[in-house]
Amino acid sequence: MNVSKTQAFLAALGLAVLLAPAQGVRAAAQSPEPHYPRAVATNLGVTRLIGETDSDAPVSGVQIFVAAGLDRERAGKNGVSALVAECILRTPVTSDLVAVPLPLREAMTASGGSITYTVDGRSVHYYIEGRPESIGALLALVSKAMAQPDFSTPTLAAARASLTARLSAFEGNALSVGIEMFRRSYYATGAAEPALGTIATLSGLSSADVQTFYAATYRRAAIAASAAGRLTPDLGRSVSALANALPDGPLSAVDERAHPIPAQAPRIVARRDVQAPWIVVGFAAPPPSSRDFGAMLVLESLLSDAFERSSATTLGFVEKSVGAFYLYDSTPASLVVYVNGTEVDPSIALRELLVVSKSLSLKPLGPTALKHFKTAAEGQFVADTVDLADRSYLLGAFSSQGLGSDSINAALTALQNTTAADVRRVARNYLQRYIVALVLPRQSDGP
Amino acid sequence: MTTGHRLRACTLGAFLILAAVPASATTGDLPALGPSVTVTRLPLGGTSIVQPAQGAPVAAVELWYRAPSTGFGSKPVPALARLAAQVVAASKPLIGDPLGKVVTDAGGRLAITVYSDSISISAVVPADAARQVVKALTTSFFAPVVTQDGFRFAQRDVEQEALISTFDPQTVVRDAIFSQLFTDGPQHYPALGGPSDVNQISFADVKSFAERAFRSQNATLVISGDVEPTIAGAAVAGRPATGGALDPEPALTPALADIPAPITKDFVEPSGGYGWVGPAITSPREATAMDFIADFLFRSDDGFVTKQAGDRYPDSLLVGQFITLHDPGVMFVAFAGQDDDALKSLVDAGFARVQQPLEPAVFASALGAFKYHLLSDLQTPTEMADNFGWYTVEGAPDYAPGANGEHGVYFEAANSLTPEYVASVAQKYLGKAPVIVTLRPAVVRKTQSQ
Repeated sequence: MNVSKTQAFLAALGLAVLLAPAQGVRAAAQSPEPHYPRAVATNLGVTRLIGETDSDAPVSGVQIFVAAGLDRERAGKNGVSALVAECILRTPVTSDLVAVPLPLREAMTASGGSITYTVDGRSVHYYIEGRPESIGALLALVSKAMAQPDFSTPTLAAARASLTARLSAFEGNALSVGIEMFRRSYYATGAAEPALGTIATLSGLSSADVQTFYAATYRRAAIAASAAGRLTPDLGRSVSALANALPDGPLSAVDERAHPIPAQAPRIVARRDVQAPWIVVGFAAPPPSSRDFGAMLVLESLLSDAFERSSATTLGFVEKSVGAFYLYDSTPASLVVYVNGTEVDPSIALRELLVVSKSLSLKPLGPTALKHFKTAAEGQFVADTVDLADRSYLLGAFSSQGLGSDSINAALTALQNTTAADVRRVARNYLQRYIVALVLPRQSDGP
Repeated sequence: MTTGHRLRACTLGAFLILAAVPASATTGDLPALGPSVTVTRLPLGGTSIVQPAQGAPVAAVELWYRAPSTGFGSKPVPALARLAAQVVAASKPLIGDPLGKVVTDAGGRLAITVYSDSISISAVVPADAARQVVKALTTSFFAPVVTQDGFRFAQRDVEQEALISTFDPQTVVRDAIFSQLFTDGPQHYPALGGPSDVNQISFADVKSFAERAFRSQNATLVISGDVEPTIAGAAVAGRPATGGALDPEPALTPALADIPAPITKDFVEPSGGYGWVGPAITSPREATAMDFIADFLFRSDDGFVTKQAGDRYPDSLLVGQFITLHDPGVMFVAFAGQDDDALKSLVDAGFARVQQPLEPAVFASALGAFKYHLLSDLQTPTEMADNFGWYTVEGAPDYAPGANGEHGVYFEAANSLTPEYVASVAQKYLGKAPVIVTLRPAVVRKTQSQ
């Protein structure tokens, strides 16, 4: 494709702004600088709690981070982090409200609360939500299950079956498969492995494996907490009690590495039962503590929206042809851009994505374009960080990666301070080497 | 239907009964919704509700209208309301940019959701852009301009949305249930229509509909989040009502089927569902009991039925909810997956269980969980705004779960529930034969019928 055709193509995709940034783009009428309630850290001795208080919120949300993520899974033991978490949610507990032992998750429901968990590269984090006046009692239930989990054969079997069923659904999701393919190529540690394990690894995990992993990771030093919503003064005491219920002892050092991405972009191909080809392009990305963080947020937003057709209403996920995710849950971080083959010709979209990546590294955005994309990135960031689960998660995740106590606001500030030179530098440093993962329908020749 | 969360979960289809425009939505006394909620009359009619909240620096700015999805004429035009709203959002008004562009440029998101006889236009924006978006939203929808360009883009977008909805089992089942429960009126037709419905709508139809439906006198403007109580003052007045008078839509009697017949249709995967007519919004205790039943049985992950279904058939879809409407409400269940017969058995067992009084301890836990779920589903600006918008256009703003916090009408009704009362409501409404919908891949159904 020659330059003029590329320009025409980019213009058709709404990307003319990149090549002629000073013309034709109306800036947002305002320069919003939104901020969240200021977060405060409380030193609890054994751990610390970061909280963002909304005094008028109807509920409280608390994230308990345990440094027991994929990075700590040993080779061949993938899925053990999720299996431990599943067992904890199935551990029978009692309380004043729950006289008969119930599995933790049911006990939380019966006590007017809820619990979920997520496994990522650095941690498994449990989200507990409930009325402010009952959040302490809910944390006490979690503490009991976490301190004395049920790893009996029936509980392990049920936990394994639950994870296996979820994996089956995952295999039909082309985007998830593509991101997993990229992660497998990129990371040199446990972060390369699937969050929930695979059917094969799960079936091979023994009770001893689970207990070994638990004993090595569920320790006081592994706990961190963050909260959002209406927070009561005794929340710190409840978090402290939860941490104190776990055994003392050091955590082993963790390896956080990625493979260098070769200059000759590797391509990985998988075939699944999907309707159309999907492409995931993975790039290395800076960590939240980096001076490049804000610029990468701008690039995430830019690459996520710049290719879309113009629509008065915001397109849903299934309608989008190209999207991007900045994955800072693992260290090192990464950026993935996907192409939805049900919406566009994936070969053309991939080519144009790479042209845009190149152009961003060669020429800085003009002031109007920069303002436009920063506003879009900021809007995307705050719109994705609204409910208590997301806010408490980001508070803890960002803080653990060097953004301080008031970490969500620090991220926003980084975004607001981003310059055109920052965007160009980050595009040059991170977007020029990539891995391409192709997820193709089983009966096709590929794009 | 009690909350924004669940409200948004059922946005893809038709489910309203066309009734009188509830007077409190647009005229008459203003409802008292709580000390932190400011309710005012808009300059040329209509209502504004503002609920400031701490938390994320975002605002939800929503306009709700009561208008039939199939248009005002005697001949129903499926998808007309949805297309008309999209055209207005895509068209350049006399002053300024199209609404969609204003919201996008502010870093926000715009959604339009249509029900059988109401429409919601909803923006989520960074808080600092809220005032600007209130002005743009009301500029576009209080004196709508429709352009040929806007019509062309909107037709493309809504056609695609309609196409996608045809693959959603929940939407297909719900539309089939409503078409059987109601013999006429907009609720008989899919609110979103099909792609061919969208294609057949003319520019003139859109213009006519937009001018009649989208006006201040027929609107409820709801704003929540990180905003000032006075932000509704940024709304433009719009155009005066015809002849200077308010023009409420006429009352229509819901056209219910006497004995709803079961229905079988083709679909890509085995699916099914049930539907029953339930209490009206004017019976808050009964309606709340139905909400409690839906929460107890079908709350995602931990409902009595959903938990069993999740454990045994993890690949399946199971959704159940009571949809609170002006008159009558509807209890609706949809299930999909290879084990749909087994899922149906679980659903049947769940409905049989709630027709007997729950054991006191089980009931106490379930009621506590229900009230927590209500609060949890009111934690974002969008959920708060949906909550007030929905209940206002249905004619009972003070019955919104968010109205007056835990001291309002809704929580009062919830606190009054007993095991015996819940069972009696279940027997009254769910003891009757439901509409049954069965969806099967065409080949399977033909084989089975041989």
